[in-house]
Amino acid sequence: MPLLECRGLTRNFGALVAVDAVDLTVEPGEIRAVIGPNGAGKSTFFNLINGMLRPTAGSVLFDGKDITGLAAHRIARHGISRTFQLTHLMPDLTARENVRLAALASSPGRWRIVGGADILERAGEAADRAMERLRLAPFASMKANELSHGDQRLLEVAMALAQNARLLLLDEPTQGLSIEETERAVQILREMLNGEDLTVMLVEHDMEVVFKLADRITVLHRGQVIADGEPEEVRQNAEVQNAYLGGFD
Amino acid sequence: MRARGLFILVIAAAAAAGFGMPHLLPGYLVNILTEALIFGLFAMSLDLMIGYTRLESFGHAAAYGLGAYASALLLLSFDIPMLIVIPMAAIITGVVAMPIAWVCTRSTGISFAMLTLAFAQLFYASVYQFKDFSGGSDGIAGIARRAGPFGIDFFQTKIGYFYLVLIILILSFLFCRSLVASPFGQVLAGIRENEVKTRTLGYNTRAYRMVIVVLAYAFGGLAGALYAPLAGFASPELFFWRMSGMVLIMVIIGGRGTLVGPILGGAVFLFLEHELSALPMVRELWPLIFGSIFIAVILFAPQGLWGLFRSWREKRRIGVVSKPQSDAPHAAS
Ligand SMILES: Nc1ncnc2c1ncn2[C@@H]1O[C@H](COP(=O)(O)OP(=O)(O)OP(=O)(O)O)[C@@H](O)[C@H]1O
Ligand SMILES: [Mg+2]
Repeated sequence: MPLLECRGLTRNFGALVAVDAVDLTVEPGEIRAVIGPNGAGKSTFFNLINGMLRPTAGSVLFDGKDITGLAAHRIARHGISRTFQLTHLMPDLTARENVRLAALASSPGRWRIVGGADILERAGEAADRAMERLRLAPFASMKANELSHGDQRLLEVAMALAQNARLLLLDEPTQGLSIEETERAVQILREMLNGEDLTVMLVEHDMEVVFKLADRITVLHRGQVIADGEPEEVRQNAEVQNAYLGGFD
Repeated sequence: MRARGLFILVIAAAAAAGFGMPHLLPGYLVNILTEALIFGLFAMSLDLMIGYTRLESFGHAAAYGLGAYASALLLLSFDIPMLIVIPMAAIITGVVAMPIAWVCTRSTGISFAMLTLAFAQLFYASVYQFKDFSGGSDGIAGIARRAGPFGIDFFQTKIGYFYLVLIILILSFLFCRSLVASPFGQVLAGIRENEVKTRTLGYNTRAYRMVIVVLAYAFGGLAGALYAPLAGFASPELFFWRMSGMVLIMVIIGGRGTLVGPILGGAVFLFLEHELSALPMVRELWPLIFGSIFIAVILFAPQGLWGLFRSWREKRRIGVVSKPQSDAPHAAS
């Protein structure tokens, strides 16, 4: 059974059809890249999956359950975590507190109103493991907004990882990074993906990054899927060449 | 952890001052000190919303007034001991706050502030509307500090009542301090810093906001419930926006998000206002002085006076620790 299945997923903004009848399935363990030019609807597509936006039509099945239109926090609790294209952190909390809050979300003790040091301790240990994976351990006690931009991007990935989700949605994890920073981030992300049995959907602009990380690629153009397949197939697809990869190679 | 020593010191100092002083002071001064502590408790309750959750309320007087009227009416209408009435009034305030919290947390930011203000003004107007029940503009007078249970009558005296307020303040502070450090408190911090992100982590942030509003009203109600038997009356002014503004300013001057700052801010400024405005020379100038302090704090110490003090201590501590480090030879260089 696919882990994620979108059927005819559609979202209109007034006259604009940002996501247009998208059918897509993601199998467990897959690393799926979603690519497409600016404004293709990639972020909107993520917003529909994680409940930030309600679809105009269509449905989302996660692990066989219909999660269409559920509130964002409920979908997160079903096991979908996400990062944002524009970094979303708790700026005044330490890096570790950020990740700990993500880890705490799956703990039944998250409603403890007094005490609960042991619950936080356990969440903190999970946070340390996630930060270790993204090589953020040295920055644990720094405030999130004091980290470099590149480490802030990775910190958000560490939070998504610490949520213990079954599907990670990463919206342009290397957005705004320099060439060196991108290289380092890709290296770290690749280690993370190889080290664990994760299912990931990844929006990415940088084709190098996509071909290094993804098992399978979906190409969106004006809200529609115009190609879907192994990286090599997609690279050769003429329509994709025209729409997007014009300058590639 | 390092904060713990200081907190204990503060509590010890407050307790020592509290337990020694009243016996040496004239009665009216004991009453003013008592009121100052009550106002400190009131300001601390608002800090839960403003400092820890970034829910700016312009209508926290609603909590104070509700607590005061609840304890006044309970004491006058039923034969219940004061020590039971006070927590009851706090709980009643919390229960009344539930629908308020439900409505107000539908929005955030300035509309949240306006909704809280609207509820406070609604209560203010209701006091005039339901005169038979509330005494209208005259308020409710003749509230007695009733003895009991078990024949405990120590708290009826001025000094006894001071101790009662001090004990309740310390217990409330310890509770709130534990609350802001708990898992729940961490989620509040997440909401304060980035609510959208906190929601996508899997937290029902609105539910958390509702709970903290109810708790903040309950503690504000506790302060009000302590005020009525102290003053012997409850008046509509307790609901008035001026009260909401005062307590908001106390929280900001004292230092939002610190609990201690608002307690000290509330207590010290209420005390100063009482004392200084009694001097004919200063009375005219007091609002000016107060306003200037407020402006200075906003401009130069946005974290409030306690925040300023804390970061000064932090700097000193880091200064001491990092000195030897920076002298050590750098492996990379
Ligand atoms: N909340 C919104 N209201 C109105 N229009 C929106 C909204 N969000 C997105 N859009 C529009 O929908 C289209 C798709 O936007 P989206 O952000 O999903 O694209 P994207 O593929 O993520 O682009 P980019 O590569 O620039 O991040 C764009 O035309 C955008 O202007
Ligand atoms: Mg986007």
